Amino acid sequence: MGFGTYVTARVMWAAVVSFIIVTITFLLLAAAPNPDVQRAATQAALQGGDPAAAAERARELRGLNEPLHVRYLDYLRSVYTLDWGWADSRSQPVTTALAEGLYYTAQYSVPWTILTILLGPLVGVYSAANMYSWKDHLATGFAFFGYAIPNFFFGIILLLIFGVWLDVIPVVYDTSVPVFSVANAVQLSIPVFVLVTGSIGAVMRVSRNESAEFQHAAFMKTAKAKGVSPLRAYAYHVMRPTLVPLSTTIVGQLLALFLGSSLLVEKVFGIPGLGRVTYNALIAQDTNLVLGATLAFTFIAVFGNLIEDLVFTVLDPRISYDDR
Amino acid sequence: MGTQRSDRFDEVEWDEISRSRWFEPSRNTLGVVLCTLPIAVLGFYDWQVLGERTATFAFVGTEWDLGGIDYLFGFTLVLFAFYLVAPLYQNPRMTRYYWRQFKRNRPAVVSLGWLGVVFVGGLFGPLVMSAPEQSVLTGYQPPVFLSIDAAYVDAQTCVGDVVSGRCQGTWQHPLGTTQGGKDVLASIIYGMTISMQIAFITTTIVAAIGVSVGTVSAYAGGWVDETLMRLVDVVLSFPTLLMFLLILYIYGAGLGMFILIFSLFAWGGTARYVRSKSLSVSEAEYVMAGRLSGANTTQVVRRHVVPNTASSIITQLTLLVPGFLLAEAQLAFLGLGDSEVPSWGQLISAGQSDLSFAPWIVLAPGFVLFLTILAFNFLGDALLDALNPEAEAETE
Repeated sequence: MGFGTYVTARVMWAAVVSFIIVTITFLLLAAAPNPDVQRAATQAALQGGDPAAAAERARELRGLNEPLHVRYLDYLRSVYTLDWGWADSRSQPVTTALAEGLYYTAQYSVPWTILTILLGPLVGVYSAANMYSWKDHLATGFAFFGYAIPNFFFGIILLLIFGVWLDVIPVVYDTSVPVFSVANAVQLSIPVFVLVTGSIGAVMRVSRNESAEFQHAAFMKTAKAKGVSPLRAYAYHVMRPTLVPLSTTIVGQLLALFLGSSLLVEKVFGIPGLGRVTYNALIAQDTNLVLGATLAFTFIAVFGNLIEDLVFTVLDPRISYDDR
Repeated sequence: MGTQRSDRFDEVEWDEISRSRWFEPSRNTLGVVLCTLPIAVLGFYDWQVLGERTATFAFVGTEWDLGGIDYLFGFTLVLFAFYLVAPLYQNPRMTRYYWRQFKRNRPAVVSLGWLGVVFVGGLFGPLVMSAPEQSVLTGYQPPVFLSIDAAYVDAQTCVGDVVSGRCQGTWQHPLGTTQGGKDVLASIIYGMTISMQIAFITTTIVAAIGVSVGTVSAYAGGWVDETLMRLVDVVLSFPTLLMFLLILYIYGAGLGMFILIFSLFAWGGTARYVRSKSLSVSEAEYVMAGRLSGANTTQVVRRHVVPNTASSIITQLTLLVPGFLLAEAQLAFLGLGDSEVPSWGQLISAGQSDLSFAPWIVLAPGFVLFLTILAFNFLGDALLDALNPEAEAETE
């Protein structure tokens, strides 16, 4: 199997996975009573109307009395054409609401991702080069700390210190400041720090342990014997093979944190991003928006896994496509 | 020995050293069955005979009630006792060897001690301590040796002394109380039970599914292997937290549902690992030797494949647990957890608004959670070194 065929097969598999997950969401929704219908019935009962008739009307309005396969095809069509409906709680289309959330999420996600990808392997390789020195122990301690401390708890403490006691950052994220301004950088620094601490630990550990293997390899000896500077030797001969197993860890860590902790971090710091949109939709019982947010995160996860596999094969030419 | 009565060394009496009949339980399995029976009987009695609102142990006069999760927890404890602790006791030589390896890693020994505290506290704490109760009069009591501005607590309701306008902490509430007057220490100890239940039940489910799928996949091969591994792909790229939120939104979900959903989507890595390990073990020479002496597939899987993957499975499961604990705490913090369950996350969430003047409500459970997650990570790391001498040989 050539590279092109492999990529095609992998992309198609990602499409299949997204399809399976979309189907599961449909089944979950179809098996449950629709909260909108129940709300219509309750409202009718409160106003002295007939709840059964109101429920029937609401069902008809939403096309719920069509046969299951028609609804399923309709659902698939609207999911894949991004026709995700109307978010009642925000009085705007679901896609617009999600795009607005993404705008704020991106503001902290981009620096967070860049910092993790840049700093993690660097510190890891540095600590492998100085193994068992106090610097290595410090880095290892930090890695374990960042890995183990719950992000939201760390966020709360830092917010208490920097937001309440020192008053350096606003307690609730200020949306009025421009994106590229010092004020915005300052108020995002703490959330970014929290997230970087959470994701960098695993990256540091993996790059340290992996590069420890390479730094005594024969090709490093050859490079040193030929007078290659240590910086160049580490950059070309240790970093590159380390990046192969590391790519999996990096994408995995970033995705896990993005899907889980972004919600928490946004709640703690009051950032109106994607996670916050999801949370508010859950509280406001806005089915369309909850579903839309779930699908958005799902597609991001599937896409992230796809990128991870592709990067893996590009970085390591030895991987045979048949094995995967 | 299987070869004792044989004239030739290469003829093994398989019936003697390995159970060849379909069900002929070992001593440990017998123990599991014997201990599970009373649990099952009690559960059945609780479910069928007692009313919904009657406490399980009402017949001995206590208010102690058991739920479905408690029965599952009991069952997993029995499993761990007979399949993890008992084998360690039965093979003292290997146990001593593991312990010597393990002891070299000092943080891991401390971690094991801490997890022991959490385990014992979670198991026996609720038996000896009464559940934390609301008492509005004694809200915001500071921890012992600390004080709080008396403006937050009425001078009359301060349990300790009021010294120069500050309410002093007392031993009555060693870690202080929440706004509603719940004792923080008691809440933390009750939270230990929840954390231990999550840890034990999820690992059991994950191990059961992961090991079965992995070995079946490796030994069946062909389309079964292909299908199962594609299923693993789906499970691995499944955004569990979000799906749980969706299920929570549509149906509502308690702690039981949380444990079920999260363990049903966490076995992917274990299954993949067991499969690759089984494939490499089945190529090993001792397996070939066994096969030449007439062992069938079941015997090979039982005696060679599963024991050889066990050490790594234990390590992997140890590293999975902190993820579950964290997820539970996160959901509880968001106010989306099981509100009837007094977990650490609930406590953190309850104290968040009082953080600026009563930080102990957040800090105490937060640090306990942090230490527990840290301990599981250290333990997993140390087990990796202790149980897997090959990995150590590679790094040295």
